[in-house]
Amino acid sequence: MKATLAAAVFAGSTLRLAAPLLLASTGELVSERAGVLNMSVEGMMLIGAFAGAVASWASGWPWLGLLCGMVAVLPVALLQAWLSIRLRANQIVTGIGINILALGATTLAYRALFGGRSRTEIPGLERWSPPGLGDLPLLGEQVFRQVPLLYVALALSVAVGWTLRRTAIGLAIHAAGAAPRAADTSGLPVEKIRYGAVLFAGAMSSLGGCFLSIGDIHTFTEGMTNGAGYLAIAAVIFGNWRAGRTALACLLFGGATALQFQLPATGIQVPNALLIMLPYLLALVAVAGVMGRQSPPAGLTLPFARH
Amino acid sequence: MNLPLAARFGGRQARAVGVSLAAVLGSAAVAAVLVATMGLSLADGVAAFADGAWGSAYALGASVNRALALALVGLGFIVAQRANLTNVGGEGQIAIGGMVAAAFALNPHVAALPLGLAFALPMLAAATAGAAWGALAGFLKARSGTNEVISTLLLSFIAVWMLYGSVQSPALLRQPMTSSSTLPESLPIPESTQLPLLGADLGLPLHVGLPVGIALALGVAWVLRRSVVGVQLRAIGLNPQAARRAGIRITAATVGVMAVAGAFGGLAGAMMLQGEQWVLKAGFSSGYGFDGLVVGLLARGSTIGVVAAAMLFGFLRSGGINMEMVAAVPTALVVVMQGLIIVAIAGASVAFEGRRAVP
Repeated sequence: MKATLAAAVFAGSTLRLAAPLLLASTGELVSERAGVLNMSVEGMMLIGAFAGAVASWASGWPWLGLLCGMVAVLPVALLQAWLSIRLRANQIVTGIGINILALGATTLAYRALFGGRSRTEIPGLERWSPPGLGDLPLLGEQVFRQVPLLYVALALSVAVGWTLRRTAIGLAIHAAGAAPRAADTSGLPVEKIRYGAVLFAGAMSSLGGCFLSIGDIHTFTEGMTNGAGYLAIAAVIFGNWRAGRTALACLLFGGATALQFQLPATGIQVPNALLIMLPYLLALVAVAGVMGRQSPPAGLTLPFARH
Repeated sequence: MNLPLAARFGGRQARAVGVSLAAVLGSAAVAAVLVATMGLSLADGVAAFADGAWGSAYALGASVNRALALALVGLGFIVAQRANLTNVGGEGQIAIGGMVAAAFALNPHVAALPLGLAFALPMLAAATAGAAWGALAGFLKARSGTNEVISTLLLSFIAVWMLYGSVQSPALLRQPMTSSSTLPESLPIPESTQLPLLGADLGLPLHVGLPVGIALALGVAWVLRRSVVGVQLRAIGLNPQAARRAGIRITAATVGVMAVAGAFGGLAGAMMLQGEQWVLKAGFSSGYGFDGLVVGLLARGSTIGVVAAAMLFGFLRSGGINMEMVAAVPTALVVVMQGLIIVAIAGASVAFEGRRAVP
């Protein structure tokens, strides 16, 4: 019975820890498929987490916080898109610049609003069980009783996977990333598609950040994303730029994080560092081609210019 | 000679300098406005910044040491960039270097070596380990076409957590656990393995790493501008197919050039450990690698550019830390400035270069 409970708790916390990664990496997947390696996921998540927390704190409505988080990230996403698509600046350097800027700006603004090192509790999303599933013994309480945003994340991941695979929009995104010149010749607005993809990545990253602050911890702390954005990028790579495999990668990474908290209780000794490192190690093994051929979009990181 | 700047430098360099200056001044103006909005004294902030960046011999030396580590990573970056390879792995290469330097320096046999070998050997070992770490990305690129941006980024995170693990485990580099409050960090490295100071009488904490760094910068400038290797790297960067037809061995060059970039990062890690910190702790690399990467990117392939950008970031960070301690201005302000400078220069430099297709 004890083992079953531990397994249920593990499954529940895996889902909870995977959700922010799933949101951010679903957005990043679209951006990368369109040809833009959006390195600023980390910064976008942080801005989402901050703006969401502040709006939720000020209004008392966590759902309004979610909306404000998504709106607040738009200028940053526009900046990233304008720099890397229109100005054709190096996508990596603009991404790192925006991450640094976001870390500095949210830290400054948090201190200005809340002072020193306070950890003001903010109104967060309530947990909820889907009808039916919630009544299951053990599983209902430990696994399925989650913040609704988690179910939104799963739905969005499925929807994006379906859109990329089955619709004209998906095909256009694929063309903009894999063969921008051919896409342009055949009349597709490559630049617009890439703009849209980066804005979508921004909104999704912001939701991922909000999941951390409003959904999970119910407060904002300086630099609270702590590398989650880079983990989301690793998930896209490990997922070989496919929606389903990216979602699985997020679950795997979430599971590795959940193990860090649960293994010590079971008496199994595994170095913490190894579990934290595992996602990056898996992603490296994947890109090294050991697990079969990787197929990144051919135009990834390459700016496109009409001549 | 009252020639306009543009005529003396050539238009491109003058524009690059202009853009950089404008970005620095603009971000400083934004920072000043932010300080004023927070209701803090601007004069106090500026005084504290100057004091921390260059106000005393000690502060000046600390800023230069910071710049030295950033410049080494930046130099490695521009060497790889010449072959159109982007080394995002500085952070991990520093971590590997710091770890290996610590392992060597804490070995009693190494510490007992004569003739300065006690401090030279850990540095050499760190550079070699960094080279191997960098070469791994080059090998993956040459063998399976793995994008080096992605592999070096992932290798960075792996190395940073390896370092974290190594100072957590008493079997590796953690100091002997005498009580439950023993910190997860290494023992301080013995004095014989610390880098000898140059200006000890003046109170300057500068060490022998500085002349080594200057020599390496001159070496990189010479290789890139005057040597056959420099031309070959440029050929690979511009057109790998043509370079292969011309008899240049692309695989060897790709692995080699990434190894060189990694060696610079490893050396930076060794100098940080043996020159300033003396103790290896979690978070040892603390963003130096990413700052160094940005230094390399902003330099746009020029050695002088690397030195200038490294000095800028070195002074900025030192001044910022003091500003928080003395004038209650959060260090985050300097972080904002740095982010603004990066974004502004990255955007503007492309816009000013006549929008040529970026290779």
